[in-house]
Amino acid sequence: MAVVGIDLGTTNSVVATVNGGEVVVIPDAQGRRLHPSVVSFAADGTKTYSHEAVARRIVDPAYTVYSAKRLIGQPFRADEVKMAASRFPYRVEEGNNEQAVFVGPDRAYTIPEISGLMLAYLKQCAEGFLNEAVTGAVITVPANFNDAQRRATMDAGRIAGLDVMRVLNEPTAAALAYGAGQNMSQRIAVYDFGGGTFDVTILQVEGEVFEVLATGGDTFLGGDDADTMLLNVLAELFMTQHKIDPRQDPSSRARLLLAAEQIKRHLSDRTEAKGELKNIGVGPQGEPLNLRFQIDRTLFEQSISTLVARTLRTCDEVLSAAALLPSQVDEVIMVGGSTRIPLVRAEVQRHFGRAPRIDLNPDEVVSTGAAIQANNLAGGAGASETAVLLDVTPRALGIAVAGGFAEPIVDRNVQVPVEQTRIFSTSADNQTVVRIQVCQGESRRFSENTPLGELELSDLPPARRGEVKIEVTFRIDTNGILRVRARDPNSGLGKEAAVNIRGQMSDSEVDAAAAKIDATAVEPAPRL
Amino acid sequence: MTDAGAQLAEQLTGFAKRIFPVVNRMNYYQLLNVPPKADVPAIRASFYQAAAQLHPDRYHVIADAQTREQLETIYARIAEAYRVLTTPDKRQAYDAGLAEGKMRFDQKDRDAKGPKNPEDSLTHAEAKKFFRMGMICHGKKDWKGAVMNFNFARTFEPAAAVIAEKLAEAQKAQTAKGGGVGK
Repeated sequence: MAVVGIDLGTTNSVVATVNGGEVVVIPDAQGRRLHPSVVSFAADGTKTYSHEAVARRIVDPAYTVYSAKRLIGQPFRADEVKMAASRFPYRVEEGNNEQAVFVGPDRAYTIPEISGLMLAYLKQCAEGFLNEAVTGAVITVPANFNDAQRRATMDAGRIAGLDVMRVLNEPTAAALAYGAGQNMSQRIAVYDFGGGTFDVTILQVEGEVFEVLATGGDTFLGGDDADTMLLNVLAELFMTQHKIDPRQDPSSRARLLLAAEQIKRHLSDRTEAKGELKNIGVGPQGEPLNLRFQIDRTLFEQSISTLVARTLRTCDEVLSAAALLPSQVDEVIMVGGSTRIPLVRAEVQRHFGRAPRIDLNPDEVVSTGAAIQANNLAGGAGASETAVLLDVTPRALGIAVAGGFAEPIVDRNVQVPVEQTRIFSTSADNQTVVRIQVCQGESRRFSENTPLGELELSDLPPARRGEVKIEVTFRIDTNGILRVRARDPNSGLGKEAAVNIRGQMSDSEVDAAAAKIDATAVEPAPRL
Repeated sequence: MTDAGAQLAEQLTGFAKRIFPVVNRMNYYQLLNVPPKADVPAIRASFYQAAAQLHPDRYHVIADAQTREQLETIYARIAEAYRVLTTPDKRQAYDAGLAEGKMRFDQKDRDAKGPKNPEDSLTHAEAKKFFRMGMICHGKKDWKGAVMNFNFARTFEPAAAVIAEKLAEAQKAQTAKGGGVGK
């Protein structure tokens, strides 16, 4: 039996394990260590994964799901979902409990089901490689993932038949990979610019204690956005050559987007990319249309300069939350494929006044840390000598109070686990029911925060407003997952009411999906 | 489970049994095992030591869910102590509260520029009740009623500044208007 660490990325996933005291990044049957987070669905119910599925983004864009991480744990109506769904060639609709669901050729799939399929594929890769059963996993998430996104990620793990030992923040995992066993005393910044998310975390590392001082980020800023910027550049070129907007056709758009990603990578090593992309579109007479292009690095850098500037603004916010100046950071660790972009490295160096550490593989460092933590939690090493990770809440958590305001109960950047209680009172005479609406975010206005869900406390004694007190307790565990308890301290009447989280699968839906995965058995990658 | 694991589980279980029942009676200095004058580096060192032993990552070796939950509650309180005592303004507010016997930092003290509801500063239930009734009269411009209720409130909590302030306000309005509304 083995446990693994999984970096379930927006674009690519990596799975690693500790084997004989060494971290091993697990390849697929073809020896590839980076597994595209893509699942393609055929009408007969069969699925293709990872590299094989990437090819299907062109031939079957409507049924090939990528970037599922941008949707996970978000209700269908969330702006982010609307924005992302409008760009995806696959269809996203509203399902049960406000969930966003993907419309597959055979049925609708919830987003945790899709991520669950990807995780099941990774689990199988690992089992094939290790030749033993994989039972547990530490799965990483962006530090600024909210409660709902974390729960949905855990659901995905359960669907894949994994015991999710911990949902671990990606930058914390990276810090662990960097500092575990080094007995260092350093203040480090982890600059994590991935495929779909950006975050930055400041940590104090003292021996085996990794204390997160502050974290922050942008859930909707990543390499994908750089691809889109470049796609627009290519589309403009195509329009000047053919007078047709290739973005109108899903297949043309998909081809250009994949080309944009390749050009982006190319421009990290070279200063110019030029060539011809064949069969991007079809002309009025049915003739294939090609695109000749020549893009130099400067043009690319101009197109993404606003994205990079946004990351540096976030760095400043997080540093100020930790009451630190950029010069007070001893090392900057670069994580995520987007940190290969020369402009990103140069801007980070300028901002922090020191060269960032690029010696750790930015694609693998997160899964490496996750594997170390999985091994620690499984008791693979002597428990007392292993690292202890002191992580924090990425956002404030609070409840709605009269007047459309939000009252925080737990602030952001507070260490977990945490338990906080606040007393509230009724706002109307003879009020016997209170509805406690839970939100995540720092705004004083409830509507400006992310609503998470609600719970009700009923059978309160009728009394004048303000006379009935309600004690609300938030408890957040080391996974960053919230439990809410509400009680009337006078009558002792109380309940640990479960918060009904918007946009989530119910437990029974998760169990049913997990059973379905068992029954269909994940097809392993075809072996050559 | 290894022998070392079993031993660790036994130690932690014993710790939970001892500390959990009294955790609400322990102040932050006791929780962190530091003297009240301890400086930030000393507090941090002590907290790191506690974290290395008591962070939830350490007790996956314990099968009993209740013990795990109790340990998590204790650890969360220690982390809270660390957070408050290493933030200068919070520590100052905490020390002031501790002198009045409050073991935990009250979140509301944080934005204590003035509690949103003035009655929050009152401790006596009857004082609060009459103060609230006084405020209702105040809202209706029933100055006579307001003065009466604020006076009642003052008998339960004579030292409260907020009552004195509102009473003076109502008395002044009463003199100016020559009595309450209507009758």
